[in-house]
Amino acid sequence: MATLTKQKIGGILARQGILIAFAIFMIAFTLASAKFLSVDNVFSVVRSSAILGVMALGVTFVVISGNLDLSVGSMMSFSTIVVLDLHDKIGPALAIPAMFAMTLCLGAIIGFLVGYLRLNSLIVTLGMLSAIHGLTLTYSGGQNMDIADKEGTWFSVFGQGSALGIPVPILIFVGLAAFLGVVLARTPFGRKVYAVGGNGTAATFSGIRRARIVFQCYLISSACVATAGLIQASRSLGSQNTVGQGLELEVLAAVILGGASLLGGSGTIFKTVIGVLILGFIQNGLLLLGLQFYVQFVVTWVIIILAVWLDIAAKRGKLLSPIA
Amino acid sequence: MKIRTALVASTAVFLAGAASAETMKIGITQNNVGVDSYQTTYEKAFIAAAEANADVEAVVLDAGGDVARQIAQMEDLIQQEVDAIIIWPTNGEAVIPAVRKAHQAGIPVIVTNSNIAEAGFDFVKSFSGPDNITQGARSAEIMCDKFKEMGIENEAQVVHITGQPGYTTAIERAKGFEDRLPEVCPNVTVVDTQPGDWNREKSQQVMEAFLVKYDDIDGVYAGDDNMGVGALNAAKAAGREGIIFVGATNFAVGYEAMGAGEYWGSIYQSPVDDAEAALKTAIDVLEGKDVPFLNYFDTPKITQDNMGDFTKPVF
Repeated sequence: MATLTKQKIGGILARQGILIAFAIFMIAFTLASAKFLSVDNVFSVVRSSAILGVMALGVTFVVISGNLDLSVGSMMSFSTIVVLDLHDKIGPALAIPAMFAMTLCLGAIIGFLVGYLRLNSLIVTLGMLSAIHGLTLTYSGGQNMDIADKEGTWFSVFGQGSALGIPVPILIFVGLAAFLGVVLARTPFGRKVYAVGGNGTAATFSGIRRARIVFQCYLISSACVATAGLIQASRSLGSQNTVGQGLELEVLAAVILGGASLLGGSGTIFKTVIGVLILGFIQNGLLLLGLQFYVQFVVTWVIIILAVWLDIAAKRGKLLSPIA
Repeated sequence: MKIRTALVASTAVFLAGAASAETMKIGITQNNVGVDSYQTTYEKAFIAAAEANADVEAVVLDAGGDVARQIAQMEDLIQQEVDAIIIWPTNGEAVIPAVRKAHQAGIPVIVTNSNIAEAGFDFVKSFSGPDNITQGARSAEIMCDKFKEMGIENEAQVVHITGQPGYTTAIERAKGFEDRLPEVCPNVTVVDTQPGDWNREKSQQVMEAFLVKYDDIDGVYAGDDNMGVGALNAAKAAGREGIIFVGATNFAVGYEAMGAGEYWGSIYQSPVDDAEAALKTAIDVLEGKDVPFLNYFDTPKITQDNMGDFTKPVF
């Protein structure tokens, strides 16, 4: 009886290690700063995490299929700059689909190189990180992009608007997470993504066209990036060329923090969302505590590694597990 | 063969130039043209200024932000035997050996925009650029004057958003501001300082956290207007009014926000002035004029009151 209960608790812990870590941080920060859990603050954290979060949703697909995407940061700069530039030239109603089309093309190029030419995704997306940055600079001539009429455009709704008292970026993030969560967990396509990342050979023998699945994962990733670029552009209505610089690592950190394996085959959308929230709340919490910013870099990463450890320890059922 | 012809030709130009003491061949290696509007405008202005001067032949290079490439470009310029080299350092430490090499080859080096580390000062003729400490101090004065006008100079609370940690410009502006503010407004308190990394979105997030944390914020000082406008957006979204925003390096967005009455002031730093000052310094050095080691160009205060005297920045 006692062992059964222990097993049960162990089972729950194993599945929800990252949630427990999340709860611990939230309690710790709430105790340290009275304003941490205020509605205003929670909204502001989730809203600013939405951009990173939307990108992380797409990268989750890529990572589960057994690949990497390091190009999402510079691709987001590209989408942001393009949509801001086109906004004044052809109007927002046309600028948004045009930007999505251009960003999806970039995703298709990456998907083709990784899926159909079977090139290493690390090299391809690392290369695309620089290439897209160059493309963005060529497109803009290095100039900052700004919408001329900032007050009179409905374009600001995606980043600054709110419905039923909830900021639109949060609605987009949650809606997209729910949709992609269902796609990944409840559709044949989602199961194929797991199969391709978990055991490619077995997937092939089961009649799954691996190249096509990988290609589609990169399309999903670029569509998410375009959405993130839309929120970003709409939020500030102006942008530098380097707005997404470095985000690829934060996105990857959030996905891994959510428990997806870099080797592919595991991970869920829900846990990625938790990973995104942990990152967002850590950064915000440290700021509210008034910690000196040099120290923040260190503390942020100590907490991330701690969370990954808690998650792994819960899965294995023990705290220490040395190699071999 | 082609290379040799080119070398001979350039040597010939050089010799001709030296003989007549008329044409000056000035090489420049820039930091990263195209990465932001300031640097893009700087390059255009430099080329225009060099073309306007019949005595100057300019070799314009760009390191693309890459230290190794900049060092190679320095060596190329030494090989080409230019009369003077202007360098916009990609890294204040790493370029020192290359600067020393030029110095040893008898070519005067002028540093532009951001200075190199002190260890390299012996090999440099002059630094031409903005005085970031003065800029920070002037921003403090702008803010203090406004507080006095509003009659809140004895209780005002200020938050400070700095540039990228470790970046010389960020450090100097922060120092200038924090040293000067207590001198002019001793009762104003700086309640918090966080970096915005020269990034509008990052600065907006930092400001959102400040607004949650502090119920009373009277002033925001941001290390440049890009970040200042990010902070302004956060305040507008939160419906907090009456905050005095002061920045530095007046950007077009900052200028527009000033025009709209939402942003109080900044420091006017023109990339055109910056480029022209660098070229002028190099020419003065070559003509044997007495040039100060730290040759700052003026970066005046700009506020809603006097913005009509300045044209809108192009970046």
